[in-house]
Amino acid sequence: MPDETPLPAPADFLTVANCLLSLSLTQHASRDFLHETLQDAVRLTGGKRAFLARVVQETGELAVVETAGEGWTEEIERIRLQPHNETQRGITGYVAITGKPYLCPDVRVDPHYVQFFAEVRSEIAAPFFDAEGRVSGVLHVDSEALNHFRREHLDWLTTFANAIAAALAFEEYRSRERLLVQIGRDLAATSEIKPLARRVVEVAAEALRCEGCSLFLLDETRETLVLQATRGYLLADVGTAFYKLGEGLTGTVGLTGQTIRLDDPRDDPRWLGRYPEFSRDERSAFLAVPILGRERTLGVLRVSRPRATPAWFRARFTESDERVLTTIAGQVGIAVDNIRNFNRVVRSERMAAWGELSAKSAHMIGNRTFAIKGDLNELKYLLAQCTDPQALAHLNMNQEVGALVESIERGVYRLEDILREFRDFVMATQLTLRPTDIAALVQETVSETFPKRSPVKLVAAYAPGLPALRCDGEKLKRAFAELIENAVSFMPEGGTLTVGVVQVAPGEGPAFVRLSPSRAYLQITFADSGPGVPAELKEKIFTPFFSSRVKGMGLGLSIVKGIVDAHHGKIRETGEPGQGAQFRIFLPIESEN
Amino acid sequence: MSRILVVDDEEAVREALKRRLERDGHLVLLADSSAAGIAALQDGGPSYDVVITDMSMEEGDSGIRMLKAAVERDVFTEVIVLTAYGNVKNAVECMKMGAFDYVEKNIPDVDVFELLMLKVDRALQQRLSTVRTLDRLANIGQVRR
Repeated sequence: MPDETPLPAPADFLTVANCLLSLSLTQHASRDFLHETLQDAVRLTGGKRAFLARVVQETGELAVVETAGEGWTEEIERIRLQPHNETQRGITGYVAITGKPYLCPDVRVDPHYVQFFAEVRSEIAAPFFDAEGRVSGVLHVDSEALNHFRREHLDWLTTFANAIAAALAFEEYRSRERLLVQIGRDLAATSEIKPLARRVVEVAAEALRCEGCSLFLLDETRETLVLQATRGYLLADVGTAFYKLGEGLTGTVGLTGQTIRLDDPRDDPRWLGRYPEFSRDERSAFLAVPILGRERTLGVLRVSRPRATPAWFRARFTESDERVLTTIAGQVGIAVDNIRNFNRVVRSERMAAWGELSAKSAHMIGNRTFAIKGDLNELKYLLAQCTDPQALAHLNMNQEVGALVESIERGVYRLEDILREFRDFVMATQLTLRPTDIAALVQETVSETFPKRSPVKLVAAYAPGLPALRCDGEKLKRAFAELIENAVSFMPEGGTLTVGVVQVAPGEGPAFVRLSPSRAYLQITFADSGPGVPAELKEKIFTPFFSSRVKGMGLGLSIVKGIVDAHHGKIRETGEPGQGAQFRIFLPIESEN
Repeated sequence: MSRILVVDDEEAVREALKRRLERDGHLVLLADSSAAGIAALQDGGPSYDVVITDMSMEEGDSGIRMLKAAVERDVFTEVIVLTAYGNVKNAVECMKMGAFDYVEKNIPDVDVFELLMLKVDRALQQRLSTVRTLDRLANIGQVRR
């Protein structure tokens, strides 16, 4: 060709290329490095200017990230090339799609050319790739001379593009490494599950450059994965969104402990689309890994990437993504195990100490009280036996003696009342479980507790065919009796006590109480027509030592709650203040498996 | 005069029980542990009509050991077990093993000493009638022979 550009000496190219490659190791994809590479590309090829465009993962567009040479304006730099759009992609976009270097001797006759600068006549462009072999960007040089570039220029440009690719890959690995080290530190320092889950979701999303990320953990039933933390769409569903083990893709990962990685989950027969991070119609790549604890699967960590993106760029998750997510999930597993074990140990040690202390002191106080009762018995006997007229006169004169004896007796009885309540409170959590017919138990408690002659009317309704419940009948009876006695005592002038037992199907619990959505419950209701519980006291009544009455220690309802809690149940007071109290107890029915 | 053994690790309890039982004319012997109680049963003296023992001394179920020892010594000795509230399980166990009755130490609004004396009286009656029945059976046996 007549106006072919003379090539610089190959030694020059080698020097520059070696320099860039070693810089890519030390500087990674810093702006200095990128800029220097572009300048060298312009200088060695004798071009006018150069730019580097990178694929925007979320949209599949190409964005200019670095330029060299003159004439660049912010406006031009903001241009996004659309490789999927044939009229908008330009030579750069075309190279991104084909993944092949391209030499354009004359832009005026090039079918792909889109004009940035009016004077440009010829161009070369070389793609570079990520570790998975996907095009991750294009390096581009232009010239105002027609037919300026030679084959060798394109080869050199390809070498520079490879140096950039290496630098970017390093950068990527380093940032992932930093994130993994950071999350490891964060997790080791976290002592609560919730902040841990939120942190994990943030880090995983950042490490995998994806918008959707959710963390599910198995609840105490070990059958249901419940959403603990997420980004975007599902934020309002934290704590309620759930999958039973084996249900949907997430439930399958939880059940099998195997990773699932899909380009489009909608093609998978297991896909339910119940809680997607994006709209159901959006295509999104999906990756879910199990969170494994020491003994069993604890939960599922999943990410998704929307694929509204043009098809040329595959948003799918790669093996490397899978490794990163698995590493994060592994750390989460250890952290969750640690937190739970720690809490369990602390709790059980505290409970053991508390239990021993309470049992010992209750025993000792009980014995002393018993002995005092003996003394009192003797004192009354001696007083009754006294026949000496002088002594009697003295006692009569001092009439307080009889009153004192009575007062001491009342005090001792009161002490025994307190002791009973105290023991009930301490023992509330020590259950002996047996299959029990709850309706029969409620009926029995009512017949034993409800006063024979009372102005209060009793209405009872038990749903037929209720399943038996594994529970501590004695303890529950104590709880029911407390509620019945309470109700009756608050209606001295009469009223109605309504007692009922019904079954609540999974997921159909009322809004005022959060029940496990995958379990069935028995609901036991005690509703009276007394004064009810003022709204501001509804929570407080279940706390220890809260009492509006004189009797006992004020542990009554906290004992009831303790017993219900020990059965993994819930109790709420839902009455309308002024119209009567309404206690509702929800006890989970053991699932068949 | 009936012989009654009281076993309890709390001195105040032992003394209160002794005083009340002696008021009713019983001969009362005391032991401050189940080991001492068992030793008293095996000292070669006449057997006891009634043994009153605390359930929870060295162990939560020391009363059960006392019950066994008492019945081994004299199968007609009646045993009354004193329990703490909430210890129904052990009390029921004692009844199954042949205790005469159990009395909860701390029942509000009840003079538990009077209640205990009632039970002691009934236990003595039961022992008496059992022993009589046995004597009668023995006599019949002698006549037949």
